[in-house]
Amino acid sequence: MTDLDKIRNFSIIAHIDHGKSTLADRLLEACEAVEARDMEDQILDNMDLERERGITIKARAVRLLYPAADGETYVLNLIDTPGHVDFNYEVSRSLAACEGAVLVVDASQGVEAQTLANTYLAIDAGLEVLPVINKIDLPAADPQRVKREVEDIIGLPAEDAPEISAKNGINIPAVLEMIVRDLPAPEGDRSLPLRALIFDSQYDSYKGVIVYFRVMDGVIRQGMDVRMMSGGAVYKVVEVGYLHPRGMEPAEALGAGEVGYFTASIKNVSDTRVGDTVTGVEHPAAEPLQGYKDVQPMVYSGVYPADGAKYPELRDALEKLKLNDASLSYEPESSVALGFGFRCGFLGLLHMEIIQLRLEREFNLDLITTAPSVVYRVTRTDGTVTMIDNPLNYPDPTEIELAEEPFVRASIITPPEYVGGIMDLCQDRRGEYIDMTYLDQSRVELHYDMPLNEIIFDFFDCLKSRTRGYASLDYDLTGYRASNLVKLDVLLNGDVVDALSFILHADKAYPRARKICEKLKENIPRQLFEIPVQAAIGSKIIARETIKALRKDVLAKCYGGDITRKKKLLEKQKEGKKRMRSFGSVEVPQEAQDPRKQLFPRTNHWAFISIFPFAAANVSTAISIPCPGRKRPRS
Amino acid sequence: MDRYVRALEKHIQEGGARAPKYVVDTVYFGGGTPSYFGAERLRRVYTALSRRFNIAKTAEVTLEANPESITEKGCRRLISTGFNRISIGVQTNNDQLLKVLGRPHTFRQAQKAMEIAREAGFQNISLDLMYGLPAQSPQAWADALGSVIDMQPEHISCYGLTVQPGTPLYQYRDQAALPNDDAQAAMYLYAVSTLEAYGYHQYEISNFAQTGKECAHNLKYWMGGEYMSFGPSAASDFAGTRYTFASDVNRYIRAIATGDAITTEVEYVPIKERAGEYLMLRMRTVYGIERKEYESTFLMPFDPLETVLNFYGTRGLTRYSRETGRWCLTPQGFLVSNQLINQLIDAQRKSTPLSPHRF
Repeated sequence: MTDLDKIRNFSIIAHIDHGKSTLADRLLEACEAVEARDMEDQILDNMDLERERGITIKARAVRLLYPAADGETYVLNLIDTPGHVDFNYEVSRSLAACEGAVLVVDASQGVEAQTLANTYLAIDAGLEVLPVINKIDLPAADPQRVKREVEDIIGLPAEDAPEISAKNGINIPAVLEMIVRDLPAPEGDRSLPLRALIFDSQYDSYKGVIVYFRVMDGVIRQGMDVRMMSGGAVYKVVEVGYLHPRGMEPAEALGAGEVGYFTASIKNVSDTRVGDTVTGVEHPAAEPLQGYKDVQPMVYSGVYPADGAKYPELRDALEKLKLNDASLSYEPESSVALGFGFRCGFLGLLHMEIIQLRLEREFNLDLITTAPSVVYRVTRTDGTVTMIDNPLNYPDPTEIELAEEPFVRASIITPPEYVGGIMDLCQDRRGEYIDMTYLDQSRVELHYDMPLNEIIFDFFDCLKSRTRGYASLDYDLTGYRASNLVKLDVLLNGDVVDALSFILHADKAYPRARKICEKLKENIPRQLFEIPVQAAIGSKIIARETIKALRKDVLAKCYGGDITRKKKLLEKQKEGKKRMRSFGSVEVPQEAQDPRKQLFPRTNHWAFISIFPFAAANVSTAISIPCPGRKRPRS
Repeated sequence: MDRYVRALEKHIQEGGARAPKYVVDTVYFGGGTPSYFGAERLRRVYTALSRRFNIAKTAEVTLEANPESITEKGCRRLISTGFNRISIGVQTNNDQLLKVLGRPHTFRQAQKAMEIAREAGFQNISLDLMYGLPAQSPQAWADALGSVIDMQPEHISCYGLTVQPGTPLYQYRDQAALPNDDAQAAMYLYAVSTLEAYGYHQYEISNFAQTGKECAHNLKYWMGGEYMSFGPSAASDFAGTRYTFASDVNRYIRAIATGDAITTEVEYVPIKERAGEYLMLRMRTVYGIERKEYESTFLMPFDPLETVLNFYGTRGLTRYSRETGRWCLTPQGFLVSNQLINQLIDAQRKSTPLSPHRF
């Protein structure tokens, strides 16, 4: 066990793309934590998706030994956190495991929405925040201006902030010295009963759940019995130790102030919830650490296997993902159109996208996902209150006394020239203007209260395109507000396709209904007969398009030598049909195989249609829609 | 060329030995441009055939010919050899378009070829036509069809142009102003009704004939008959097996001489597969399919097929004849026959075979 005053526990926080992971790489190198030949970019982000997208999804920790200028060797525990608004709670728990945070700010872009949000999270968690100005090698870098911004906007002294380039390795020792010098050493009493904060956990098929924790008080030893204070489960610690960039180093015990892992043959990651406190069974702590909460999903979506027979595989895959991601929730649901699947709850859109991509890539599943939905609160005429996360469960309008939808306070930081466009956009999305502040001459912060529903539609994409990507967005759930909501149904060939239904504000119903019908018309291949595409509220049709019948699909010549070829052709067409789904009487081909074949824009409501095996038994119910493209990763 | 004729003769000799009890009722010289082969060589090959096979006196003997290769002398020689049917690739009546299609003849030459064949004594002449050609308007198509009807053949084949990868047209297909599917469909339906009005009944997706002049040879393909072929790339379906010969002429000649294997694809077609082919091929014709014939041949239930047929019957794509008890596709149905046939085959695959005791 290391002396407390030789330990520094810190996180790196930043707006996306400001260089957090690159700085982490440099710190690792400087401390020779990784052999040069093993070094690679974004070494802490070892999930393929993380590397590809340049984001951090899972929190991770690493222990570095730094021989400082004062001749002492310090233990630096770097806890890498996800940066996205979806993972705020995870971030806050990771931060709670630290005494300080290094705030990375891009020397040309300056303070952005997530810079602010993450800094406030860190300050709220009582952390010492040390700014670092990164990317000083860029031509547009203006470290002095950015330092002033940090002081003016955030109120952190930044005069002495190191000016670095993580990419080119400029001035990295200054950051390390600053960490040792300016960050407080952890406090904690190793003689008290054990209290360790879980900030993440990961499932390993050999060892079971690996719990990442920070010891706040007491000591955790190999072989001791521990209890999860909020979960209640009890385990015997099998192995305890320190975390390295590559692998783990078992130790006998870890004391207050230290960061590490333990394993205890834990089968289920949900028994080790992020934020929970680990204590000893023999000498339990009286009080758990503060700040644990049960995270509630913000966004729900139906997830179905493209091939109905793969339902058990999807269930297993979700189970496995859940081992590593306690914030993922799912329960079985079924749809007339899509068969058996799961209603999944996600922390936000990014989280949703990541889970879907991981299901597809790591488990090789083809998915059909329904449009994301927020959770509505409906008070019925009989006084009962229901939370509705699935449009299928939306009650009949006559039974609704009050319908409410979740609102968020959105904070948008943008160069002033885009303010007009953003205001139009927010207005259009039922945003309520709160205020506008000039952060400096080049940046304005706008606040709007907006329905979350509008944000998950395609707000982020619209914002990016209207501001050429300069605006940044952050939001916080503020509560529920009464709203004039309706359920919009889509009918193909006269049959409601349950999977296409969604809830929206009445004022939006007409234009959106029209748009959906148009899009479906464009994307559903012609069938052997005409198909009406309709959108309806209750029994009232509010939009209609017609898909004309297929006119021609014929092989003109078929003589002796053509027969084998023709048979192969039919075989091939049949293979295509295997990837079809019938919606009522409409068959839908699934183009989802290739993510680049994006037939449907990413966040559009119905961005999810796919296919059934054509059932000849019910020819009477047979048409086709090309499936929605698999959604594209957003960067 | 003569080496090739000798190889064919030898091959025919071998083939004849395999079919001692067969009476041959159709002979077809087609694929590529057999008319370039010259009447003399054609005569040699036909003679070899008649020596090794029992060819019926009433057999239909067809030659496929390009207009520019047809001569008076050649035609007379063919007639005396025993040929009695000729199929001429007219394609269209517009010389510009013929050039685009890479055809060396003009429409005038095609008319001339027709006259020569008729005068030489061919009583059964078929003309090939194409629609859906680059920039072809409905009017231009009506005009082309009219000019061919004016030539008074006994039989007309109408093919929609399919732009295949590898053809010159394929490269600039986007600039070729090809009529779209709807326009092609309209051209097709116009042809079906016009030809009917002039006494040419549709009997297959692309084939029309005066009564009694349907091509007996091609019907063999569609009705599931047996046929034996000779020459490179030739496909046969004989004694339950479908096989194709090597496409390279030199390899073909060499293999015949040495007795090496010359088939590139050999496929024994089991009855189950034949049931699918029955649907695939019969439904190309107006003779269509029939419950009893189907159930007793393949021991498969007809009901699942009828469900499909009934469904599309109400939509005008299939037709049931009370007189004959047969189901077939309508002209609209022929246009989407790939889809319909697939659905029928699908229904067939999902059905359970009938108990053999029923029959």
